[in-house]
Amino acid sequence: MISATLLGQSVLSGLFSGCLYALLGLGLTLSWRYLRIINLAHFALIFLAAYIAYWMNSAYGFHPLLTCLAMIPAFFALGVAQQLLFIRFKVGEFASVIVTFGLTIIVESLIQWIWSADFVRMETHLARGSLEIGKLLAPWDELFMCAVAISVCVATWACLNFTWLGKALRASLDNPDIAASFGVPNRALALLVSGAAASFAAIGGVFVALLYTLTPSSIYSWFGVVLATVLLGGLGSPLGAIAAGLLIGVGEAMTMAVVAPSWAPIAPFTLLILILVLWPERI
Amino acid sequence: MTAAAPTQTSRRAAPLGFALALIALAALPLAHPPPFFESFLYLIFFWIALSTSWTILSGFTGYVSFGHGAFYGVGMYAMADLGPRLPLWLALPVAGALAAALGVVIGAIVFRVRRLRGELFALLTLALAIVLATVVLNTPIDGGPGVFLNGVVPPQIYKSPSSTIYLMGGVVAIGAMALAWHIQSAKLGRGLFAISDDEDVAEVLGVPTFGYKIAAIAISSAIAGVMGAVHALFISYVTVGETFSITTPLYVLLMAVLGGARHWAGPAIGAIFITALSYSFVGGDFALAARAAIGLTLVLATLFLPDGVVGLILKSWRSRHAAPAPEAAAPEAREAMPRPDPARFDWAAKPLVAARGVSLAFRGVQALDGVDLDIREGEILGLVGPNGSGKSTLINVLSGLYMPDAGEVRFGGHEIARASGHARARLGVARTFQIPRPFARVSVLDNVMVPAMFGAGGLDATAARARAMEALAFVGLDGRADALPATLNLHQRKFLELARALASDARLIMLDEVLAGLTPREIANAIDMVRRIHARGATILFVEHNMRAVLELTDRLIVLNQGRLIADGAPRAVMDDPAVIAAYLGAPDAAH
Amino acid sequence: MASGIGDRAGVTRRESLALASGLALTASGLGAARAQTSGAPVRVGGTLALTGPLAQTGAIHKVVGEIFIAQANKAGGMMGRPIEWVLLDDQSKPDLARTLYERLITVDKVDLLMGPYATANILSAIAVAQRFNKVLVHHTFGIPKLANYDKHFPAWPLGAEPEKTMPAAVYDALASAGKAPKTVAIVTSKFPSVQFIAAGAREVAKQRGITEALYLEFEFGNRDFGPIAARVREANADLLFMGAIGLEASQLLEALDKLNYQPKNHYYVYPTPGPLAASPLGANALAATAYEDLAPLNSSPTAQEFSKLFHAAATSAKLPYAEPDTQAGTSYAAWQMLTQAVNATKSLDDDAIAKYLKTNGADTIVGKYSFGGSNNYGPDLMKVKQVQGGAWNIVWPKETATPGKAIVAK
Repeated sequence: MISATLLGQSVLSGLFSGCLYALLGLGLTLSWRYLRIINLAHFALIFLAAYIAYWMNSAYGFHPLLTCLAMIPAFFALGVAQQLLFIRFKVGEFASVIVTFGLTIIVESLIQWIWSADFVRMETHLARGSLEIGKLLAPWDELFMCAVAISVCVATWACLNFTWLGKALRASLDNPDIAASFGVPNRALALLVSGAAASFAAIGGVFVALLYTLTPSSIYSWFGVVLATVLLGGLGSPLGAIAAGLLIGVGEAMTMAVVAPSWAPIAPFTLLILILVLWPERI
Repeated sequence: MTAAAPTQTSRRAAPLGFALALIALAALPLAHPPPFFESFLYLIFFWIALSTSWTILSGFTGYVSFGHGAFYGVGMYAMADLGPRLPLWLALPVAGALAAALGVVIGAIVFRVRRLRGELFALLTLALAIVLATVVLNTPIDGGPGVFLNGVVPPQIYKSPSSTIYLMGGVVAIGAMALAWHIQSAKLGRGLFAISDDEDVAEVLGVPTFGYKIAAIAISSAIAGVMGAVHALFISYVTVGETFSITTPLYVLLMAVLGGARHWAGPAIGAIFITALSYSFVGGDFALAARAAIGLTLVLATLFLPDGVVGLILKSWRSRHAAPAPEAAAPEAREAMPRPDPARFDWAAKPLVAARGVSLAFRGVQALDGVDLDIREGEILGLVGPNGSGKSTLINVLSGLYMPDAGEVRFGGHEIARASGHARARLGVARTFQIPRPFARVSVLDNVMVPAMFGAGGLDATAARARAMEALAFVGLDGRADALPATLNLHQRKFLELARALASDARLIMLDEVLAGLTPREIANAIDMVRRIHARGATILFVEHNMRAVLELTDRLIVLNQGRLIADGAPRAVMDDPAVIAAYLGAPDAAH
Repeated sequence: MASGIGDRAGVTRRESLALASGLALTASGLGAARAQTSGAPVRVGGTLALTGPLAQTGAIHKVVGEIFIAQANKAGGMMGRPIEWVLLDDQSKPDLARTLYERLITVDKVDLLMGPYATANILSAIAVAQRFNKVLVHHTFGIPKLANYDKHFPAWPLGAEPEKTMPAAVYDALASAGKAPKTVAIVTSKFPSVQFIAAGAREVAKQRGITEALYLEFEFGNRDFGPIAARVREANADLLFMGAIGLEASQLLEALDKLNYQPKNHYYVYPTPGPLAASPLGANALAATAYEDLAPLNSSPTAQEFSKLFHAAATSAKLPYAEPDTQAGTSYAAWQMLTQAVNATKSLDDDAIAKYLKTNGADTIVGKYSFGGSNNYGPDLMKVKQVQGGAWNIVWPKETATPGKAIVAK
């Protein structure tokens, strides 16, 4: 029989996965909604950040959080540069898939060239061990990741909903010409969104390095679940991403605990299909 | 890129090309090329078939599929399962049929939901592929260890079984291209392109959108299924990980978009390019640099070829052949069109449209509240009312864009309140949109050909072309037939709407504020146009704010306010009705 | 290989040293080739997964092949002619592997073939070899019953029925320490070459009266091991038998650690060796192996030299784990087989080579091969190794165990 501890532990595990899905999807959902760019290179940036965090830590003993702080402005600049390229060449939604997939392949090759194709693992004493809640155990590193993921998503949501920035973005998306006549700097906004999205990739990457062993080709293993999170949550919605991430993460974990691990994707994705078909207006 | 209708030359040249390609394909093994050559060509065929199949669904209709691996996977596992038990000639079509069945089931569920377009459709297909992969992985279909097809040996047509696989791949690829070419030049293709640009408009112009989308997904998934079945023979060891990997649908999409997703030849060009590219970088010494080079090529090719290779070719072709665009002056209406056969019309003043108790509410707001309405054959009926009174809603209900909550609508003896938009268009209902909604990515001529083919006239392509040119000449847009709608000004776009209504040979034409936003000179021009359309024998429902035009044109006037019909009668009398004046209090146009 | 930041910094220093020595090695190898061999080179064609998801292991086989050829060309190559390796990148795709083997045979017209990396790609290559009646020596094929071509020669020495012999070895090894497991939790990836071994472990356990406390299958590529770990902890069996390939072992162990649980005894089929040895969580982990740089396996001069060269070359190729293990050892053994057969028959004729190998087997650093059994499989040369004090030791069977080392069982 399935014990309550097992169920509780699995739910926790799903919550952690879900937060990570949301954190990794946040930049993607913003650029998809507000820039009409389906930025597959977001995954490449996440792994680039992860590898840099690993490398700074293993070679120079840099604390991953310090690396993270240093990477945020650098990645912001990368995001801005990418968007400038897209503006210059007027890259559309369809074409953006190809361009960013090409960029992903380039970054993947670069990573393999610098750090080899073999597995690497950041060994750090940061946040080892677990918090005990009754019989349940919550690892500190994952709790920390969840806290960051939720804070970043909530902060982004607040920014979009309670500041001039959010209104300007929506106006710019609705009709750039009218927005411009009301003084909305469309171009600067686009660069800001793209830069912010890339910065989120830097944050996400550090946590990927903290929690996972890295190999260049694992860039692609995140595509499906993160795309699903982003779309299920509603494009451009940080809180939606959290909710969708949790739904998928917990759904997978419960299937693993109750049925069998190999059936894991069936519950969340069947649910997703049902929601899409039966209540499309929910999304 | 626009989906230009194939020119007369390509209509004759393409089938010849496909036939020659098939002959060359069949003859190649006789020249005893190195076997690897067949194998390499096979890989190209494989990707051509998959990306062409993707484009028939996603490129043509705009429903982007991220889960094309599901259809292909069904074909692969069908062959893995049936290959050892059925003869090959039977197993292949069964594999295709199973994939098509999956496609049709998905389509039948999904295409009923109007919102499931764009990224939501992409998400749905992605999720379906993941679910399917999980099922295959956990059931005896595979179960995990993979399926080894060493028992299935294809018949030897030439020396070796691998030549047979090469031939099968080639036939599927060339067949897929020929099919895509045929669809693009046929009625189905025109309907699909219309769906991709504006599905609602396509429906009310007469395109059976649901059936067409089902047809597209069925054809697309059948091709992917058959190709998957052949591929199972090629690799001979089928595993879930390889089959349902996300990179397969991703590469398919890349190839189609790179080549040009809205043209039958685009995916093949993309497939050849990317397959050859990745094959030319297999040397062991520079594997990594080669992979980076593939990435770089994708980036550069997309930046410098935004519409795909085919788009670039079409653009340069167009710029060499297109006539210089005439200045954007208001088109002057020229000679009146010959009247259509008057026998089609019953000039007795019996109602063409009889609506009873039509009601429709949106989230509690009663947009139409028990509207009773007759439109008599041959009249120009004016419909006015303040903003938000339900005028556009009424047109949407009559044209089939919305279904009423209650009420009946009879049109020429048919009950149509719940009929689909395209069925009404067939019966002879046409409309224009207040804000013009042309199909943005096809030419002005192609825009007008859609109602000519799908509307009440139901003409074939040649007749429809003549009819459309006629309609364009009637509204003075014949000089812009090859232009894209985006290059027209507002006045011209409104006249394009008129031309579309005209070309459909409709008995009832509903004009939704055709005068809004026009200059006085353009208004005079447009009023004259409406009069001449009426003179050709159409019944007209004329919705307008411009009261002077209403008084000038209409035989009878009805007034809507807050979803209710508050007046009905001779235009002058209605305008003096106190209830109407109260409803309109302060309406500026009333003073004209 | 202990963990820790200081130690990792040391790796970087070693890297730069090794880079220099690696370059020197290549240079001396080339020089020697000119001195020792003459005539047109013998061209050996093959593909490896140099890019794509299998690239991390593909890289090992590239390094080993280069080492072997440099060495062999110093010692007379094949029949006195230098060996030239025509290596192509199959991008980890079986369909491309098939096409490339056809190209190697019919366009590049190579004299001999060497297999690609990993089961699916090798199956593709076997099918091509069969059509052209070529000998295919390969190093990393995991499912013996699928390979039924009479001129294929496997260097991954599983024996004909690894689904029985590999689990039996684990149960025997534990029993030898007086800790025969009474309960077993079997967890496996649905990766073809480990899944059938895990299924076999169930059967063998049943025959031996070992209670199956848990049997779980998960999808290859699974990321979230939390719920699996929770179930393993609940089962709390004497032995955790995991059909693990690549990183899955480390992933499960990390998830178990987060639940403050250490398995009593734990066995992994094909784990990536580096991370398991490096992590304290890997303590006492058992795994399958065919070669390690340990006595008695490395006692021959050839093995000694190979191991030394591999350390240097792997480090300069930036492979984080520079110890030669099963991958490297079987890769080297495959090259040894092919070269021995060519030199003994003085022929590049596929029938002659196949006949020689069938009759005589081959002597390699992994051991003595023979190919007389079903599907050309011979004796089971797989061993059991264990992480002890941050490094792998061979603990079973006893005659090949690292001297002075015995299995640690609980």
